[in-house]
Amino acid sequence: MEIESIKATIKQSISRVTGIAADTISDSASYEDDLGLDSLSVLEIAVEVESYFKFQASDEELTSIRTVEDTAELVRKRLCAQVA
Amino acid sequence: MRPGSLKTMPTVVVTGIGMVTSVGIGRNRFWSSLMAGRSGFGPVRSFDTSSFGVHLGAEVTDFDPRDYVVELADQAIGRSSQLAIAAARLAVSDAALDLTAMDRNRVGVCVGTTSGEPHFIERFDDHYVAGSLDRVGGEFITRYPCHVVPGHVAMELGLAGEAMMIPTACAAGNYAIAHASDLLRAGRADVMLAGGSDSFSRITYTGFARLGAIAPEVCQPFDRNRKGMIPGEGAAMLLLERKEHALARGARIYCEVAGYGLSCDAHHMTAAHPQGEGAARAMNMALQTSDLSPSDVDYISAHGTGTPTNDRLETVAVKKTFGKLAYKIPISSIKSMLGHTMGAASAIEAAACALIITQGQIPPTMHWQDQDPECDLDYVPNVAREHKVRVAMNNAYAFGGNNSSLILAACAA
Amino acid sequence: MRVAITGAGLISSLGDTPALFHYALCKGHTGLHPVEDGRFEHPISRLAGYIGDFKPDTYLPEKCFRALDRTGQLVVSAAKLALESSGWLNDRLNEHNVGLVLGTTFGSVHTISKFDRRALTQGPSCASPMDFANTVINAAAGQTAIWHKLRGINSTIACGSTSGLMALGYATDLIRYGYQTAILAGGADEFCFESFSGFEQAGLIYKVTEGAGFPVPFEERRTGFALSEGAALIMLEEWDAAVARGATILGEVRGYGSTYDPRRSNGSGTDAIVRAIQAASEDAGIAISEIDCISASANGSIHHDRDEALAINALWNGRSSLIPVAAIKSMLGETLGASGAFQAIDLIETMRTGLLPGIPELERYEPKLPPLNASRKRQSVHARCGLVNSVGFDGHACALLISGPEKQD
Repeated sequence: MEIESIKATIKQSISRVTGIAADTISDSASYEDDLGLDSLSVLEIAVEVESYFKFQASDEELTSIRTVEDTAELVRKRLCAQVA
Repeated sequence: MRPGSLKTMPTVVVTGIGMVTSVGIGRNRFWSSLMAGRSGFGPVRSFDTSSFGVHLGAEVTDFDPRDYVVELADQAIGRSSQLAIAAARLAVSDAALDLTAMDRNRVGVCVGTTSGEPHFIERFDDHYVAGSLDRVGGEFITRYPCHVVPGHVAMELGLAGEAMMIPTACAAGNYAIAHASDLLRAGRADVMLAGGSDSFSRITYTGFARLGAIAPEVCQPFDRNRKGMIPGEGAAMLLLERKEHALARGARIYCEVAGYGLSCDAHHMTAAHPQGEGAARAMNMALQTSDLSPSDVDYISAHGTGTPTNDRLETVAVKKTFGKLAYKIPISSIKSMLGHTMGAASAIEAAACALIITQGQIPPTMHWQDQDPECDLDYVPNVAREHKVRVAMNNAYAFGGNNSSLILAACAA
Repeated sequence: MRVAITGAGLISSLGDTPALFHYALCKGHTGLHPVEDGRFEHPISRLAGYIGDFKPDTYLPEKCFRALDRTGQLVVSAAKLALESSGWLNDRLNEHNVGLVLGTTFGSVHTISKFDRRALTQGPSCASPMDFANTVINAAAGQTAIWHKLRGINSTIACGSTSGLMALGYATDLIRYGYQTAILAGGADEFCFESFSGFEQAGLIYKVTEGAGFPVPFEERRTGFALSEGAALIMLEEWDAAVARGATILGEVRGYGSTYDPRRSNGSGTDAIVRAIQAASEDAGIAISEIDCISASANGSIHHDRDEALAINALWNGRSSLIPVAAIKSMLGETLGASGAFQAIDLIETMRTGLLPGIPELERYEPKLPPLNASRKRQSVHARCGLVNSVGFDGHACALLISGPEKQD
């Protein structure tokens, strides 16, 4: 799957959880500092993303995602690992 | 507004305690386990955890409800009610109180819980998913809503005073004891059974596992390498009465409920305030209502779940309240042995405080190996200790930012 | 210390201001309707007080409500209205720690069930963290504290349909004994398939026979109650502090009593109700003869309506027909944890307007019951002091006495 498509899906998730319009979310915006999300919201987004792309992130991976970009990178890595 | 001291109100005392826990049923077995550092952890047996990443729990494995549920049909009520009834009967017996001689209209029950009777909603959901909702039956409404727990205790013991459920989650036991003590001070009751009960719950386990809050191998509160809590189950009830009532019937008095403090972080649903602000306010309010100073506190029973965040922020809050004195007050977490028994936890811990005050010994925080630089207080690591405790502070914190501190103190003659 | 009532907020199937709510009740409007909302996966086979047009952004504009479930949304909205109505705006909230005591039967059984079912069908790793935060029964109280910065004592009471009234009593004592100066207190329960299904299978929801159903209090043909929902919160304040800040005082909570019936066999509930009312009377220092009207808990339940009528008759020494009685669940339905608070708010309005709602669908008062002064139409009353009764569907009884604002020291 294309990285842009992954990012779009992630932004839809963020929008559903937070109400922030997907097209206003930049790839590099920090969940906590720029979007003002708390830990529960970030975890909720992560669960939605895991569920959609059918993988389970480890605790370390979950605590390392800070932006759309690094979330998308995690998904891409996991999707490649699934195919490999 | 500063709450006033309760010193001008009637003194409320603890004259009986009863508990059902993974480390022992009844006062003697419970206390000997605490002193020996015995834990109640094991692989979860109540449901299949094979699709979870964690598998440990602290379930009560040696409980037979038929030993305690006599009036009601034990299979007609949920497990949390069974545990609460057992703890209540043990407390009444421990207090040597003859209920038949009491005006039952003046005896009430107040219970705290996190989940109430989760098995009934879990069964409802099993039917829902299987498309067999028509098989749920009338039992769901008569056995599930959490107010059935104090109701069943009242029905079993024939009590007709107030029967209240305070479901303030992991701080609920303290809330229940606080409210019961207020009812007694106000003369609304003569005897109150107060405590908490929670039975092992698939829903609770799933949620905490999803939050990454369950430790994979060991519960080690305040340790540098702590990885989380271990969910448990249990119940404890304290028998409370006004001091003159206890003296008049020659009751043995453990301690008095000197005061309490409650507050709300109003910050986050599952994470505590980062500066421990709400928890500190609850501790300060408890001291004010007890008419005590920080230097009067001899022991703190910690919330101490074993999660990285709770233990760090709890330490922050204790230091905020006690300043440098924090380093002189031993603070231990019996969740290191019992796991987190949810709504029962602070009631079990309050019962432990009653024993601590009378026995002059404090239980350890087990499995402590490495100091966390941010958790540098005296957590009584691994070995129980002799320590004269006149004043014990019992802290408990819950989802929703509910903070509680209960102060139990040796009773002046 | 005295406990003043300085404001109220409510979300109900009969309106979202105390005045509109009371007006609708006095006009005999019903809040019970067929429920055909697509959000319910299974059909709701009775009239119910579901608030289909409830939108939290009516009360809290420009906010994302994903973190709140329906119960949370109802309470956060009612709290906003109560805080505004009592003049507790942001500046004052920042300077004081206001408390919140919420009565509820379930918290949200829908949220708990939804969380569990998702984990069952998709696996525990797909469980929703946000929903988990709302599975605790004290979630709505916690969410409301976050939204409105309520940092005082925050508690949840769960005693079935007496929860809201017990919450008012609990909060009253916190103020009397000096723990808090200001507390929002009341109750909430949402309408959901899970609770409807549970009550229906237990036989407590009214039955439809010969094309008609009678969820009507004291009605000879009554067969049970109609389930409803809502949130109702009252601002309680220490009297002198309320006067000092220039608050409008709408009334005073004078006392309460709370009991349980451990025998739970049919016919024994009367005693618990009598004791609760007597305890309230003693607590308030108000004699039964000084009570001017009653807001009854009666909701169409066969046993509990009877128990309540018998209790009133016993307390009024067989002269129960003298005391005017309202039974607003005839129009509102059974709102469970919110019910006692709804009744208290309407009673305050009755003391203001001099009008007591009737029971519009009451065609045949049950002849075996002692007569009550309860009519189909609203009646005029001059009420300085009123009694609110709450009778639980399993053993709890609570009574609260309120006096109007013209009470002088």
